[in-house]
Amino acid sequence: METIIIGVFVIGYLCIALEHPIKINKTASAILTGVICWTLFALSTPTEALINSVPFTGFLEHLKLELGDKFAALSQHDIFRHFVVEELSHHLGSIAEILFFLMGAMTIVELVDAHHGFRFITDRISTRNAKTLLWIICWVTFFLSSVLDNLTTSIVMVSLIRKLIPNKDMRLFFAGMIVIAANAGGAWTPIGDVTTTMLWIGGQISTASIMKVMFIPSVICMLTPLIYLSFTLKGELGEIHEHHVKHEAEMVGGGKLMLILGVGALVSVPVFKTFTHLPPYVGMLGGLGILWVVSELIHPELDEAVKKNYTAAGALARIDVPSVLFFLGILLAVGALESMLTLHNFAEWLAHTLGDNRVIITLIGLLSAVVDNVPLVAASMGMYSLDVYPQDHLIWEYLAYCAGTGGSILIIGSAAGVAVMGMEKVDFIWYAKKISFVAMLGYFGGAAAYLLIEQMLGAN
Amino acid sequence: MEITVIILFVVGYLIIALEHPVRINKAATAILTGVLCWTIYGVMDHHSVEHVKEQLSHHLSQVGGILFFLMGAMTIVELIDAYHGFRIITDRITTRNPKTLLWVICWVTFFLSALLDNLTTAIVMVSLVRKLVPDKNMRLFFCGMIVIAANAGGAWSPIGDVTTTMLWIGGQISAVNIIKTLLLPSIVCMLVPLIYLQFTLKGDLGHEEPNAHSTSGQHTEVRGSRLMFFLGIGGLISVPVFKTLTNMPPYLGMLLALGVLWVVSELINPDMDDAEKKPYTAAGALTRIDVPSVLFFLGILLAVGALESMEILSHFSAYLEKSLGDNRIIITLIGILSSIVDNVPLVAASMGMYSMETYHTDHMIWEYLAYCAGTGGSILIIGSAAGVAVMGMEKIDFIWYLKRISLLAMLGYFAGAIIYLIIYPYLAVHP
Repeated sequence: METIIIGVFVIGYLCIALEHPIKINKTASAILTGVICWTLFALSTPTEALINSVPFTGFLEHLKLELGDKFAALSQHDIFRHFVVEELSHHLGSIAEILFFLMGAMTIVELVDAHHGFRFITDRISTRNAKTLLWIICWVTFFLSSVLDNLTTSIVMVSLIRKLIPNKDMRLFFAGMIVIAANAGGAWTPIGDVTTTMLWIGGQISTASIMKVMFIPSVICMLTPLIYLSFTLKGELGEIHEHHVKHEAEMVGGGKLMLILGVGALVSVPVFKTFTHLPPYVGMLGGLGILWVVSELIHPELDEAVKKNYTAAGALARIDVPSVLFFLGILLAVGALESMLTLHNFAEWLAHTLGDNRVIITLIGLLSAVVDNVPLVAASMGMYSLDVYPQDHLIWEYLAYCAGTGGSILIIGSAAGVAVMGMEKVDFIWYAKKISFVAMLGYFGGAAAYLLIEQMLGAN
Repeated sequence: MEITVIILFVVGYLIIALEHPVRINKAATAILTGVLCWTIYGVMDHHSVEHVKEQLSHHLSQVGGILFFLMGAMTIVELIDAYHGFRIITDRITTRNPKTLLWVICWVTFFLSALLDNLTTAIVMVSLVRKLVPDKNMRLFFCGMIVIAANAGGAWSPIGDVTTTMLWIGGQISAVNIIKTLLLPSIVCMLVPLIYLQFTLKGDLGHEEPNAHSTSGQHTEVRGSRLMFFLGIGGLISVPVFKTLTNMPPYLGMLLALGVLWVVSELINPDMDDAEKKPYTAAGALTRIDVPSVLFFLGILLAVGALESMEILSHFSAYLEKSLGDNRIIITLIGILSSIVDNVPLVAASMGMYSMETYHTDHMIWEYLAYCAGTGGSILIIGSAAGVAVMGMEKIDFIWYLKRISLLAMLGYFAGAIIYLIIYPYLAVHP
């Protein structure tokens, strides 16, 4: 049965990677993969190894205590089914934490965007020199993406360069660099990227430590391609026909307030967690609640129908719910493999064959360019236990870097890349020819920097 | 600390109930209430933080199960609607006799609402009576009956109503038993007002506007409306079957159905380009579902979960039992209360009040709770999601409903309740 489930997982994964040629939305494939994996797991007969594993024996003890006399009446099969349902409920709990966190973050960003709050950042960029602009865009993306998620950052930045760069050819290079900078910027803060957030919520990394060691590698990961392009980039930004950037009188008020509140809410999430020790999604929902109330109260002059667009209720209608369900499906599927101990066995096999964890994780980073990095990180979290590798261990930090930035190597390798591909019609092949190589240089440059820093810190 | 949390909860609840006058979306209030309750509990409790976190993660796992179930169901219904799938039912209704039409509409609503959520059913049926009953006065009676029938129809099916679904997902009721014991009471709950109107309803349907038919023909037809209708309904029905066969939680079955429909919706129109196709795929349907409601449930269920974890609810139920004596009276009151306040937190609180160890799966109180919380909301127009939707669509006046329908709805509610209390000793698993 285990082989069949792995087969289902691989086929599901292929369908997700080949989303465009086979024309089936990746969310549908992900949901079906997750559900089928769990159903097959529930209907299978447990292997010897699983019955003797620590989670199963622990569950058995717990069940004995809970049921008392009734325990004897249960068949081996009943016990296994209880075990599967318990495992699933455990996975659903941690998945729901991630998903509600994401929904909260996406809604807050959407709400700030609806009030044109990001203009207060983008309006300050006035240079018409291509290379200067590229540097500014990259740094703004880098820092914006460390606070917001990569997807949102790249969407905001791409909508900005559309206004600033009429020349299509030139814009493609900017779009490519936005992908790299967004991914690099997300890797070094706990709230900057889904995978880093997962590691942070799971307790594998801590806020202060990840920011301290990961900042320089992330900067190098972005700087290497940026410096390369500074020397080779040729051409003009093109003429801007009209200044429609600043002349939109129908803009609603409150943009600045929403920007400050929104960024404040996002930044206060780690603070909330440190203070209350409650999971991050609670803080995110608290921030969303406050912004929601404010968004309903600051436009008393608008009538209900118009106001709707500027409230969180309206923002929720515009967030990318299919992505949320995509993560649900794929994380459920990975959870099944984890509960079946498949991932654990795979890690042992990898460790035996390759030996060095650093080599394995570097490979995971490269792999994340081909497949989605969320399940890869979820798989790695299942592979290595926190008992052996404590919080802030080298492998967790290095994993955060590799999974966060490796996705830039191909355009379909990261959420930011896919979004940019959708918005600017960046061709897969164009990206592979013009950007992939420099992205890979950056990836290895940053990786080398991290390993060097880690060695120096370890020597002290 | 407990007093602080209780006050916070009550204030939050008041703001939710007064959503329209204070003009703050109830989802925002619910989220803040939930977050604040847990924050206070987490910071001020003498237990270790680990203990609180474990309780929270336990609740979130349950809440997640309910919410993903709802999102799946809402998307499937939205998808059927995008393909105009409900026309397969509504196109068949052609009678021009008011009394016959009332019976047909009520029964269709009753069974449709057992499959779909009450809200969607009410919206589909009200848009239908708009076409069939041009006379405004007559139409209001039809709308009132749609509210009653939709709520009654949702009560007896595990997938028909949020509260029944919550009890089913929580393991308090089982699919076969709830249908067996509540079908008859639910029918009575609808029949009593229906039979009364049968004798008192006067007037005719009014004249159809000449262009009413042409508008329905103007809609751009999309292929596969039949297929999507049957697949969608089949998917919804298969959810309880899936649970019985695999013992896995219901949301997995719902996601499976959604996944299948999603793939079909992408493949069914190969000749359209991506932009044209988008509204007819699940991705498009997902943008139209009511996500604020999902977050409202998240907030309110988390808040109730905090009260449950602090054992406030079990103390409250002990107090109620001491002062009122009988569980049946308490639950009947909960039903009537649900016509004023939202029934989701009421049921969530009741689930926390009574432990599963004392009251097993399919115990009388769970089934009776499903009936009361499901149908009690019909007594006032603001008492149920279906009522509020109908009020919005047809501009039914709160007072008009109170004068003409409330008494009938209450008669039906009590008649069904009495029927249930008479028949359950013969049908229930744990009498």
